Amino acid sequence: MASRRRMLLKVIILGDSGVGKTSLMNQYVNRKFSNQYKATIGADFLTKEVQFEDRLFTLQIWDTAGQERFQSLGVAFYRGADCCVLVYDVNVMKSFDNLNNWREEFLIQASPSDPENFPFVVLGNKIDVDSGNSRVVSEKKARAWCASKGNIPYFETSAKEGFNVDAAFQCIAKNALKNEPEEEL
Amino acid sequence: MISDGIEDEEKWLAAAIAGLQQNAFYMHRALDSNNLRDALKYSAQMLSELRTSRLSPHKYYELYMRAFDELRKLEMFFKEEARRGCSIIDLYELVQHAGNILPRLYLLCTVGSVYIKSKEAPAKDILKDLVEMCRGIQHPVRGLFLRSYLSQISRDKLPDIGSEYEGDADTVMDAVEFVLQNFTEMNKLWVRMQYQGPSREKERREKERSELRDLVGKNLHVLSQVEGVDLDMYRDTVLPRVLEQVVNCKDDLAQYYLMDCIIQVFPDEYHLQTLETLLGACPLLQPSVDIKTVLSRLMERLSNYAASSAEVLPEFLQVEAFAKLNNAIGKVIEAQVDMPIAGAVTLYSSLLTFTLHVHPDRLDYVDQILGACVKKLSGKGKLDDSKATKQIVALLSAPLEKYNDIETVLKLSNYPCAMEHLDNGTNKVMAGVIIESIMKNRTRISTADKVEALFELIKGLIKDLDVDLHDEVDEEDFKEEQNSVARLIQMLYNDDPEEMLKIVCTVRKHILAGGPKRLPFTVPPLIFNALKLVRRLQGQEENAAGKEGVATPKKIFQLLNQTIEALAIVPVPELSLRLYLECAEAANDSDLEPVAYEFFTQAYILYEEEISDSRAQVTAIHLIIGTLQRMHVFGVENRDTLTHKATGYSAKLLKKPDQCRAVYACSHLFWVDDNDNIKDGERVLLCLKRALRIANAAQQMATAARGSSKLVVLFIEILSKYLYFFEKGNSEITVAAIQGLIELITTEMQSDNMTSDPAADAFLASTLRYIQFQKQKGGAMGEKYEPIKA
Repeated sequence: MASRRRMLLKVIILGDSGVGKTSLMNQYVNRKFSNQYKATIGADFLTKEVQFEDRLFTLQIWDTAGQERFQSLGVAFYRGADCCVLVYDVNVMKSFDNLNNWREEFLIQASPSDPENFPFVVLGNKIDVDSGNSRVVSEKKARAWCASKGNIPYFETSAKEGFNVDAAFQCIAKNALKNEPEEEL
Repeated sequence: MISDGIEDEEKWLAAAIAGLQQNAFYMHRALDSNNLRDALKYSAQMLSELRTSRLSPHKYYELYMRAFDELRKLEMFFKEEARRGCSIIDLYELVQHAGNILPRLYLLCTVGSVYIKSKEAPAKDILKDLVEMCRGIQHPVRGLFLRSYLSQISRDKLPDIGSEYEGDADTVMDAVEFVLQNFTEMNKLWVRMQYQGPSREKERREKERSELRDLVGKNLHVLSQVEGVDLDMYRDTVLPRVLEQVVNCKDDLAQYYLMDCIIQVFPDEYHLQTLETLLGACPLLQPSVDIKTVLSRLMERLSNYAASSAEVLPEFLQVEAFAKLNNAIGKVIEAQVDMPIAGAVTLYSSLLTFTLHVHPDRLDYVDQILGACVKKLSGKGKLDDSKATKQIVALLSAPLEKYNDIETVLKLSNYPCAMEHLDNGTNKVMAGVIIESIMKNRTRISTADKVEALFELIKGLIKDLDVDLHDEVDEEDFKEEQNSVARLIQMLYNDDPEEMLKIVCTVRKHILAGGPKRLPFTVPPLIFNALKLVRRLQGQEENAAGKEGVATPKKIFQLLNQTIEALAIVPVPELSLRLYLECAEAANDSDLEPVAYEFFTQAYILYEEEISDSRAQVTAIHLIIGTLQRMHVFGVENRDTLTHKATGYSAKLLKKPDQCRAVYACSHLFWVDDNDNIKDGERVLLCLKRALRIANAAQQMATAARGSSKLVVLFIEILSKYLYFFEKGNSEITVAAIQGLIELITTEMQSDNMTSDPAADAFLASTLRYIQFQKQKGGAMGEKYEPIKA
C-alpha cells in the first residue's frame, strides 16, 4: 500500500494572476506554449510520469486560479500536497511581494505536519520578456528571500522558451519525494 | 440555530470522513492483495459517503477531495490490472454492478479514464457514454461534483488536435461536443438548484450556489485550453453554444458569472473577432444582471491587450471595436433605467480608457464619450454621490494623463460640461490636477482663447463658485491653491505681443473677479508677466504708436495701473507700493516719463495715506529711494519734486536711527555714477551733514533716556558714505571732514558713557583698515587717501 501511495506526487502551483502558472504546467507536461492570456478557473491538474532513481512516479500538478473570484470552492485540494511551487513574474514587483502571502496561505490551509520543513520551490518566470529589460525583481533579491524562508530552491524560468522548466520540475519532484507522507489514521 | 447548524455539519463531515477512511483502508488491503472483487466492494462503500445531502458545498468539496485522492489509487490499480491482461471492457462492465448509482458512476468514470488510455475503443464513444450516464444523478450538488470528476479525469484524454487520442474516428469536434454537453448539463443542475427546498432558505441557497459556480465555469476553462479550438471553431461553435446556454437559463447569478468567465478564459484576439456576438448577448440578459461590471471588465481586458503591443492595434481598427463597444454601452444604459449614475459613468470611464489606448489619435471619440456622459448627467446638477464623483474624476483625469497636454484636452468641448457636475470641493481638486499637469509638462498656453477656456475650466480656483455656501476652507489649502494659480499665470506665453496682450487682458478679466482674498496671490504674477511683455516691446514704441489693437507699453501700463488699483479693496498697500515701483522702473526703461511719474505718484499717495506702521514705512522708504535712484527718465523738475518728497519722508520717520539711515541713503539721489547731470556734491554733503545731526541727536536722547548708547555705529555708517563720495570725486567731501569724523568716532568710543560694542569696534577697525589699504595701493587713489590719518 505504501509503495502505491508513494508513486503519486502531488504538487500545487500558486501565485498571482498572470504570472504564468498554467503556461509553466503546459510547457512542462505538453511542451506547448501560447502567448494568449487565459484565466484559470478553480483548480485543475495535469499528470506527468517522471523517472527518478530508477523508479517511475506520477507527478500530479495542480494549476490554480490566481484571481480570487475564480476560487469559489476554497482550497480543499491543497490537502496531501507533497510540494508547493510559488511563481512570480520577474517583471511585476507586486507578484513577488505577494509570494509571502501565498506561502502563508498555503501553510495555514494545507496545515502540513511539519510546516518548517515543508518543501517549497520558487520560480521567477517570464525572464524572456523584453530581453530582461523590463525586469524589476533582481535574482539577488529573490534568492535572498528564498534564503530567508529556509533555503527554498529558486529557479529563473521562461515558460515561453522552455528555459529551465525541466530543471525546475526535476527539483520539484525530488523535493516532493523527500516530503514524508502524512500518516493516515 | 445557525451555530448549531455549523456544528452539526462538522459532525456530519467528520462522520463521513471516518466512514470513507474505514472503507478506504479495506480498499487498500484489497488492492495490495490484488483482490478486485473486494476492491470494488469497498471502493463503492467508500463512495457511498458522497451520497450525503447534509453538507454545504465547501464541506462536500472536502469530502470529495478525499474520495478523489483514493480513486487515484484505484485508477492505478485498474491500470495494473489491464497491464496484467484483465480486459478493460470487462472491467467497465463489472463496475456497473455496484448497487448505488452514485458510487457506480464514480467507478465508471474511473475505469473509463483507463479505458480511454488503453485505446481499445474510440475516446469519443467512451466520453459520450459517460456524459450520458451521468444524467442519472439529478441532485444538483452531487451531480455537479460527479460531472466535475468526469471533467477532471477526461481533461488530458480529450481527442484534441495533436493529442494521442485524436484519430480517424475522434476529432477535436468530439472533444468540444463532450465538454459543451457536460457544461450544459452542469449549468442546468446549477440553475435548477435555486428552485429546490423551501423559499425561506433562498438566501442560503444562493450563497451555496455561488460557492459552486467554479465547477460550472471550469468547463469553459477546459474549452479554452483545447488546442483545436481555433478562432473559427470558437466563433462558429463554442461561443454561440455557450451564449445560448447563458441567455436561455434566464438566471442572473449564472448569467453574470458565466459572462465574466467567457471574458476571462478566452483570449483577447477571439473577443475582438467576435465582439458583435458577445455584446449582442448583453441586452438579452436578465435586467438584474450587473452588465456594467461585465462590460467594464471586457474593456479593461481589451485595453490591456491594446497596451501590450502596438502590433495588435490594427486588429482593433479592423473590427471597429470602438463603434461596437460604444453602441453596446449606449444600449445597456438606455435599457437599464435603474442603473445608478455611478454605474453609467463607470462604463463611460472604461470605454474612455479603452479609446485612449486604442485610438489615441481620435480626439473626437474621446469627446463623444464625454458628451454621452454629460447627456446622461444632464439635469442632475452637482452630484453628491461620491462613487459617481470619483468616476467623473477618473474620466477627466484619463485624457490629461494620456496626452500630457492641456491644449489637447481643451479641444474637448464636453470636458468642461462634465466638470460642472463635480461638487465644489472636488471641482477644485480637479482644477488642481489640471494645473499640476500643465506645470509637470511645462505646457505653454499660448492663445487668449485657450486661456479663456482654461480659466473657465479652473474657475473653481479663480472665484467663489457659490456665494451662499460658506465652506470652511482651510487657510493652508487656500494658499496652496492660489499659489498654484499664480504659477500657472507665469506659464502663459506667446511670442506675438498682440496675442500676449490679449492673454494678459483675459487673465486680468478672470482674476479681478476673484475677490479680495485671491487678488494678493494673482495680481503680482500677472503684473510681472505683463512687464516681461513690456520689456520685449522696448524700442518698438515709435512705429506702432497710435494704431488700434496694437500692443504698446503705454497701453499695457494703463492696464497695469488699473490692475494694481484693484488691490485697494483688499487692502494691501505695501504690496501695491512695490508693484507701482516695479512698474515705474519698467516705464523708466521704456522712456515713458509721464507714466513713470504717475506710478511714483501712486506709490507716494499710498505711502502717505495707507502705510502707517513705522516698520513698514522704513521698508517702503528704502524701496522708494532705491527705485528713484535708478530712474534716469525724469527731467529736473519731476526729479526734484520726487527727491524732495523722499527726503522729506525720510526725515519724518519715527525713530531717530531710522531717520538717520534714510537721510544718508537719500544722498545717493543727488549723485548718480553714470549720469553726469546728477552729480550735486553740495546736496550730497547736506544730506550727510543732516544725517550726522540726527545721529548726534539720537545719541544724546539715548544717553539721556538710558544712560548709555550703542548708536556710535550710525557715525561709522556715515563715515562709509563719506569715503564713498570721496572716492567718487565729490569735491565737497574733504579730507578734513573725514579726519574730523574719524576723530569724533574715536573719542565717542572711548568716552565714559559708552558701553563697549564689539560689533561697532569691528566695523570701525575694518573701515580704518580699508583706508590703510587704499593708501598702500598707490596710484591716484593712494595719493587721494594719503593725507588721511587713521
